[in-house]
Amino acid sequence: MKALTIFKAVTKNWMRSRSGLFFSILFPVLLLIVFGSIFSGIGGSSQYRLFIQNFDLNTANGELSDLSKAFIQALNSTEAFGITDIPAGENATEYAREVLGPLGGNMRILQISEGFQGDLLNGTLKVRIGIIYDTIQYFEPYLTSEQKMAVMQGLTQIQQFNASIPDAKASLMIMLDPADQSAAMVKSIVMSVANAFNYELIGAENVVEFNETSVTTKRYSNVDFYIPGITAAFIMTNGIIALTATTTEFKRRGIIKRLSITPLTKLDWIIGNVLSQTLLNLLLTGIMIALGWVIFNVRVIPDVLSIVLILLGSIMFSGIGMTLSGFIKDVEAASAIGNAIAFPMMFLSGTYFPLEIMPSYVQAISKALPLTYFSEGLKHAMIYQNPEGVYLNMAIVAVLAVVFIIIGSLVTRWKEK
Amino acid sequence: MSKDVVTVDSLVKQYGQLMAVDGISFQVYEGEVFAFLGPNGAGKTTTVEILECIRPLTSGTAHVLGYDVTRNEDVKEIKKRIGVLPQEFCALDKLTVKENIALIGDMYAKHLDIAEVIKLLDLEDKTNEKFENLSGGLKQRVGVAAALVSDPQLIFLDEPTTGLDPKARRDVWAVIANLKKLGKTVFLTTHYMEEAQTLADRVAIINKGKIAVIGSPQELISQYGGLKVLKICGGDKKLAGLLQKKYDKVALNGNGDVLVKIDDVDEFWRVMTTLTDIKVGKDIEIQTPTIEDVFLKITGARITEEGELK
Ligand SMILES: Nc1ncnc2c1ncn2[C@@H]1O[C@H](COP(=O)(O)OP(=O)(O)OP(=O)(O)O)[C@@H](O)[C@H]1O
Ligand SMILES: [Mg+2]
Repeated sequence: MKALTIFKAVTKNWMRSRSGLFFSILFPVLLLIVFGSIFSGIGGSSQYRLFIQNFDLNTANGELSDLSKAFIQALNSTEAFGITDIPAGENATEYAREVLGPLGGNMRILQISEGFQGDLLNGTLKVRIGIIYDTIQYFEPYLTSEQKMAVMQGLTQIQQFNASIPDAKASLMIMLDPADQSAAMVKSIVMSVANAFNYELIGAENVVEFNETSVTTKRYSNVDFYIPGITAAFIMTNGIIALTATTTEFKRRGIIKRLSITPLTKLDWIIGNVLSQTLLNLLLTGIMIALGWVIFNVRVIPDVLSIVLILLGSIMFSGIGMTLSGFIKDVEAASAIGNAIAFPMMFLSGTYFPLEIMPSYVQAISKALPLTYFSEGLKHAMIYQNPEGVYLNMAIVAVLAVVFIIIGSLVTRWKEK
Repeated sequence: MSKDVVTVDSLVKQYGQLMAVDGISFQVYEGEVFAFLGPNGAGKTTTVEILECIRPLTSGTAHVLGYDVTRNEDVKEIKKRIGVLPQEFCALDKLTVKENIALIGDMYAKHLDIAEVIKLLDLEDKTNEKFENLSGGLKQRVGVAAALVSDPQLIFLDEPTTGLDPKARRDVWAVIANLKKLGKTVFLTTHYMEEAQTLADRVAIINKGKIAVIGSPQELISQYGGLKVLKICGGDKKLAGLLQKKYDKVALNGNGDVLVKIDDVDEFWRVMTTLTDIKVGKDIEIQTPTIEDVFLKITGARITEEGELK
């Protein structure tokens, strides 16, 4: 009960503080808008940009083959792609780079080779997909074991297929950037379209309808990744910067002392503060998701796991904040130290840039940072809807939450010296 | 003698080499206003916070309302029954007067009606004002309100008027005088002589961790304050010389007044007769000693407005 009173009081006090609101809510919102816009184009749909270069011409009239056009049509109808054509005479990568511009995002090029129609008309499953693609290891942690199995199986099949027709060239070639977080998704959509196309041509019955395939394939964009990333980062700063600063301020101004003279216990004080942080963080998450929805047309649906994770993260970072303020006397030092810890952590935990593209020593450091596990877990829960990817991260966050909340309570002084 | 509300015996609080409280013993009686009068660093806050159970003691014993401040179960009982205005009181800046008082009230199993407490402290105009927008005097009044809201038997006020302007100080004095009328026991600390003398039933003069004397202001003044002084305004050396022939204790002060210390009424009339005989047509005042004289006599120093010894 008293914890609830404290919760209400500190929350109200925070809600009425403009700088508090700015740093805890408005700043992350601005950041999401800025990051989201740079990397996806504001108002843009969540389609993957895909360049297609079609080399399959009719020998008779020199025009693009009907089946290759139909294939592109099929890709288009998935609505998963924003397709840009590259004329057959151009150097595909240079052309794409030019179109994309300096901040244009990931390069994904599908080349339809000469002989695509011919292969299909031979009535076999001979359409083969070659992938210039080494991101499978990179993407591995994001996949469930089932997905992994499927991918591996698919790859093996392709290889076997390749082996069975040694001389044939791949009639579809897809080029992807290893740093592209959506590479696996793009690849799998193209593959499923190609498969559906094959099946339909050979008249196979009861094959999963193409449209359904595309529906079950969830589409992601960069904004998807920034929503849990930025949310996690600011749940971290709310604990490590904001809570540290306010607690130090409360301590310095004797507010904690004033409360400690009443029958209020230290435990109730701590619970009240953690509850307040949790509410603030749920609010932040809600706003970030709503923003993704309204501005970027991205639908992230938080499930129970995400909410539990946010609760645990709030406890963990509140614990860290309380631990810090146990050792700090003045408010300026509190925010300086909070910033000095929070900002490097933000960038070293793969919040803004995927860890996979970071140097290995950064990856090693990231393993020691609580935010890494929290933001990874949140990505799995909110974006990949992949519970298996959540559990380990969640367990680590839970353990750290317990550890820090205990240290935080021990160093919170309820008595003078 | 009335009941003890606070009983302290040979209390010591040591910080390294420093004896912040150096073996003090005293009682506070039910229904009185008891004042600790002492300069900065005397050990006032240290003592009070030991009694509020938020500082451990080094040795000695301290009981509040019959409970031992060192026993955990007793501490709970003490905290339920005391109200406190800490030194340099602060509340949550963005909460209103009412919300802050209610916050403290809600920490207790039951509390007085918030509106009534606000009325008692004459804060009605400021009920919905944020704490950060209040003047120093009003903030102190909110602090006193918070100390009162749980309807405690014993109230600690640690330097309730330090830093306030004279008007605000007098307002707070009125509030404290009112607390006594409500039957509360008040333990007050101050470095203002006038505050102790005006408000307190009994004063303990504390310096360097030790209590020098305890007693009612009248007792202390009659015991240590020295003699009354007859001041002949605008006298001169000649007059001083004349008087000096008949009386021992004659002095000239910086303003050119002649001061004559007098032991009793007889002496007063003798001096007056002398003055009439030599036809001195000057204004004459009688100065009575104050707590300040007591303090000076006992410690050999005065306390400045800021609380330093001089
Ligand atoms: N936590 C502490 N550690 C070390 N010394 C302390 C501590 N608290 C108080 N002291 C010292 O104990 C002495 C008494 O301090 P105390 O705060 O009780 O004085 P005070 O009478 O309340 O004075 P003031 O008018 O400044 O409030 C001072 O010399 C002070 O420096
Ligand atoms: Mg003090």
